[in-house]
Amino acid sequence: MKYNVCMVSDFFFPNQGGVESHIYHVSQCLINRGHKVIIVTHFYGNRRGVRYLKNGLKVYYLPFPTMYNQCVLPTILTTLPLLRNIFIREDIHIVHGHSAFSTMAHEAMFHARNMGLKTVFTDHSLFGFADASSILTNKLLKFSLADCHHAICVSHTSKENTVLRAAIKPETVSVIPNAVEASMFIPDPSQRDPDKITVVVVSRLVYRKGMDLLAGIIPEICRRHPDVQFIIGGDGPKRTVLEEVRENYQLQDRVVFLGALEHSQVRNVLVRGDILINTSLTEAFCIAIVEAACCGLQVVSTKVGGVPEVLPPEMIKLAEPSVK
Amino acid sequence: MAAGVKSWKKILYEDQGFPDHYVDASFLDELRKNLYTRTYDYWTVVIESGVIVQQLCSVCIFVVVFLFMDMQLLQAETLVSVSGGLCLLGYLVHCLLTSVGRIQSDRSFADDLKTFLIFAGFSYCLSPILVSLTETIATDTIYAMTTVMLIANLLFHDYGTSAPMVSGVLSLNAGLFASVCLASRLQTTLHSFATVTFAVELFALWPALRRNLRQAVSCCHVLMTTLVAMVTLLLVSCISLTATVLLALAIVFITLLCPAWLIWLQTYKNNIHGPWDEAAIQQ
Repeated sequence: MKYNVCMVSDFFFPNQGGVESHIYHVSQCLINRGHKVIIVTHFYGNRRGVRYLKNGLKVYYLPFPTMYNQCVLPTILTTLPLLRNIFIREDIHIVHGHSAFSTMAHEAMFHARNMGLKTVFTDHSLFGFADASSILTNKLLKFSLADCHHAICVSHTSKENTVLRAAIKPETVSVIPNAVEASMFIPDPSQRDPDKITVVVVSRLVYRKGMDLLAGIIPEICRRHPDVQFIIGGDGPKRTVLEEVRENYQLQDRVVFLGALEHSQVRNVLVRGDILINTSLTEAFCIAIVEAACCGLQVVSTKVGGVPEVLPPEMIKLAEPSVK
Repeated sequence: MAAGVKSWKKILYEDQGFPDHYVDASFLDELRKNLYTRTYDYWTVVIESGVIVQQLCSVCIFVVVFLFMDMQLLQAETLVSVSGGLCLLGYLVHCLLTSVGRIQSDRSFADDLKTFLIFAGFSYCLSPILVSLTETIATDTIYAMTTVMLIANLLFHDYGTSAPMVSGVLSLNAGLFASVCLASRLQTTLHSFATVTFAVELFALWPALRRNLRQAVSCCHVLMTTLVAMVTLLLVSCISLTATVLLALAIVFITLLCPAWLIWLQTYKNNIHGPWDEAAIQQ
């Protein structure tokens, strides 16, 4: 039985990220199985209209401007004409929305249900319950998923979290973990420095990725182990904190900043390391550790969210989120 | 099928043979509710609610004093001398507590005297301007603004908690603005000088003294609350019976009913904790 699937999200190429690459890879896998897949998202700069990606994957870049956090303004009514047109024109059977943040995904699923199509929702992140923004987002999610046929979560912890937030029946939620394209992350031990132990960090340098923890760890480890060096890839607001630490402890030759990295360059950075360290404070799945394990690195991570479920114990060492 | 024989583990790296939407018996096992909620004791909350009653009463005292002066029942000279005397008394208490070591104060006597002289001097010199400040504004507008400002004073006052809404500065400014509004309605410059200095004492100096006394001598809080409430009710009863009844009801509501309401609401708390929580960095 071949289906026509429409993936909808505010987050897609040319943005780089976990959700974006997830949507792309799932679409390619579905096309390889014979289904028809199209993707609907908003426009990015000059990239408007219809584009085709590999294997005939059609992407609609719709003229809805982004308002806040790369998402379109939630109006519900103004997105109806275009989305309905696309669903009818492409003869869509299933509409698949991604990411709880994406207003376009919620609206598309809403319109799809009104047209009698089947809807699926994939949740990529963990949320809290207590602060104001979480309460509002969870309420929105309850409305949106009340009429959704099925949901997919990327880990068992994420399933528990989504079931509690959206008040849906756990039997309608499947756990399908994320995956990496192994051919893109081939190990290469020759790239490693044989005299030193190289610790790699590749992430956005923001608070929720635990950069404050990292800032506390770097001097401690450098003090205890003179043969350790750090490579830090990625950029963000916390970069100044880390650079400050580097200055204060005179570690200029032992800590290297690579700045923002393209997704294609990540593998070349990872193979230079022996260990990947992940200090996130909250993660539904954490694809970075899978990419690193695929490249042959030992992974050290904080024990948060869905991380303990991802890798077998011999490939990962878990730790409590404190500097000690 | 091997699915029924093996036990299900919460892992993602192995195909355990169960369907994707399988719900294990251990689903939501790590969910915890209400781990960090505070439980309140009724009488403790009642005693603590005294801070709100004290501030409400000081606002009422201020309004009543203004009304007395407006009705010519109170002479400006009397008010100046009484507030001067009370200020001196309060300062002596403060010095006593500092010397005994119950409270810290990094200001010397010279600092305090200097501040007092600067303030009194400026107020006295600027009170002629003050008395004619709002001549063109209608009395109703003045009374409305005063009400709003005094409500702001009550809302933003620093009652000892660290909520984001608390702003001691905003509260003090609102109180002083209210006093300026009312002072400009009075007859002579001495009246407005008296009102403004009394307001400064009531809204700036007295809360600080209450806080220090409370910290130093633990039993005086209940005593202070009852004393202040009785004095206020007495003064208000000279003006209007309705106002007295309303004030008494307000005090009963704040002191006895609100704590009961808070404790009743706590039973509806529903905080959810689990492995999905964002980690707090332990130092």
